[in-house]
Amino acid sequence: MRTRTVLAAAAVTLALPLLLPERHLPVYVLLLLAATVTAGVSLLMGYAGQVSLGQAAFYAIGAYAAGLSAVHGVPTLIGLLVAPVVAALAAVVVGAPLLRLRGHHLAFATLAVHLILLSLLGQGTWAGGAIGLQGIPPLSLAGTPLRDDVGYAYVAWAVLAVVLLISHNVVDSRAGRGLRAAAGSEIAAAAGGVPVGGYRLVVFALSAAFAGLAGGVYAFYLGYLGPGSFPLLLSIEVVVMAVVGGLGTITGPVVGAAVITLLVQALNELGTRPGMPSYAPAALSYAVYALLLIAVVRYLPRGIVPAVAVLRKGTS
Amino acid sequence: MAAGAALAVSGASRAFGGVYAVRDVSLTLAPGELRGLIGPNGAGKSTLFALIGGQLRADTGTVRLDGTRIDRLPADRRARLGVGVVFQAARVFPGMTVLENVMVGAHGTTGAGFVAAVLRLPAHHREERLIRDRARACLARTGLAGWADRPAEALPLGQQRALQLARALCGQPRLLLLDEPASGLRAAERERLSALLTELRAEGITMLLVEHDVAFVMRVADRVTVLDLGRVIAEGSPADVRADPVVIDAYLGAGSPA
Ligand SMILES: Nc1ncnc2c1ncn2[C@@H]1O[C@H](COP(=O)(O)OP(=O)(O)OP(=O)(O)O)[C@@H](O)[C@H]1O
Ligand SMILES: [Mg+2]
Repeated sequence: MRTRTVLAAAAVTLALPLLLPERHLPVYVLLLLAATVTAGVSLLMGYAGQVSLGQAAFYAIGAYAAGLSAVHGVPTLIGLLVAPVVAALAAVVVGAPLLRLRGHHLAFATLAVHLILLSLLGQGTWAGGAIGLQGIPPLSLAGTPLRDDVGYAYVAWAVLAVVLLISHNVVDSRAGRGLRAAAGSEIAAAAGGVPVGGYRLVVFALSAAFAGLAGGVYAFYLGYLGPGSFPLLLSIEVVVMAVVGGLGTITGPVVGAAVITLLVQALNELGTRPGMPSYAPAALSYAVYALLLIAVVRYLPRGIVPAVAVLRKGTS
Repeated sequence: MAAGAALAVSGASRAFGGVYAVRDVSLTLAPGELRGLIGPNGAGKSTLFALIGGQLRADTGTVRLDGTRIDRLPADRRARLGVGVVFQAARVFPGMTVLENVMVGAHGTTGAGFVAAVLRLPAHHREERLIRDRARACLARTGLAGWADRPAEALPLGQQRALQLARALCGQPRLLLLDEPASGLRAAERERLSALLTELRAEGITMLLVEHDVAFVMRVADRVTVLDLGRVIAEGSPADVRADPVVIDAYLGAGSPA
């Protein structure tokens, strides 16, 4: 039953890039990349009980790691693999001093990381400064450079699938049980032998690796990176996606990313109709964004996926 | 001192805001001994447990497990060395089944990490099977076999205590700290618990048992230590302790239940 649902979802999402009109493909790619970043946030918030308000910083770190290595002649596939590693290392450097990872320390620390990173990127000539990093070659798979959106749609799909599989395997394991236990009672988990602080650091690094990997794809897809590509709002957006989709679930991040991305997109189209004021798209998206968050927190406090699961249990 | 002691607490003190909860306590348990620890409310029993289990650090003094100093180690390292804890407050993991709760207890004595889990290596599968079997056996011993797939927070309080004991046993402890495991249990459940403790002692597990039901302690314990205002005021066989005027005065009172 569950396997069938997963297979059906996989089949539909795999067919979509071929069925969608060309102009919608960028939305598809960016949606999957957002879901990939959100999967890490959801793992962190749902299982380690920690909030990161700077997750897009790791997205940026991954993007720049991939972009810079490609610009300096490193094979693009290697660059793509370097991205999550560099992002995870950055997370360890940030997280290790806060090893206990209690309270809101991590949220503030990651927010600070994002701000510092934006100013570094804006000033560093090595990163192209305010102009940005240009001339990133396309991702090359088996000697063939990917030039069209369909190719990146499938790369993003594969990346998301790997990330979801990793999440699933981590949650359903000895280590995952230790994490879930610690979310319920840190004291009792430690008394059972769970190294709570160390595990939380691993999950934080893993969540950063997810973001970094998505960032790597993004770099090759756009071929250009600038500090403006990674606004603070992006970090907030993935937290909202995680909450809306449902923390502590594997598919929640995908649902959350889809709902928010598509809504914002639809409003964008509405807002850019002739006769609308120029500020309409932005104003509309933020309004809906806020309303959706309030509605979910008010009516579905555990998010969409857990609510649907409860409904289905009730009817079967 | 006391070579061959399973547990040796020496000169342990711990104060909260200038007030001592545990003051200069020394305690030595022989391997396989079941020691009762009694004393009035606020005597410092749970605090002493926390110093041994690692939930709190001692201000001064040492704690040795089979001769190895453990007082500077975090709680999870102590668990790995064989310290099992049943807390006074029922601390179960909500949102997890009873079986999963007990499986967490095996964490310290197993080793498959994140990599084995992500790659689903044979080590992961092998260990998951081992942990599951061990957890089921512990559930059976504590009379919880029929509850395995229920959410832990749905259990009645008495069963939540039994769950904590099953979880601690799943870690195959050398030293078991039991903080009021019988409170909230009915007479029949108490009987089952005392039979289980006797069984565990026969298996060689060293135990330290806090219990307000003095008769219960006197019945199962090899020796009894009495704590009052953070200090040890008496120690000896159940019969000696029961007859000790200092103990009667401080704790048991004239109309003692013993
Ligand atoms: N975390 C804490 N902060 C401040 N004071 C504490 C703390 N823990 C314990 N105490 C105090 O230390 C003393 C000993 O408490 P403890 O819980 O160890 O007693 P106990 O013997 O276990 O009592 P009971 O039989 O009621 O469980 C009490 O006066 C208590 O108020
Ligand atoms: Mg107590």
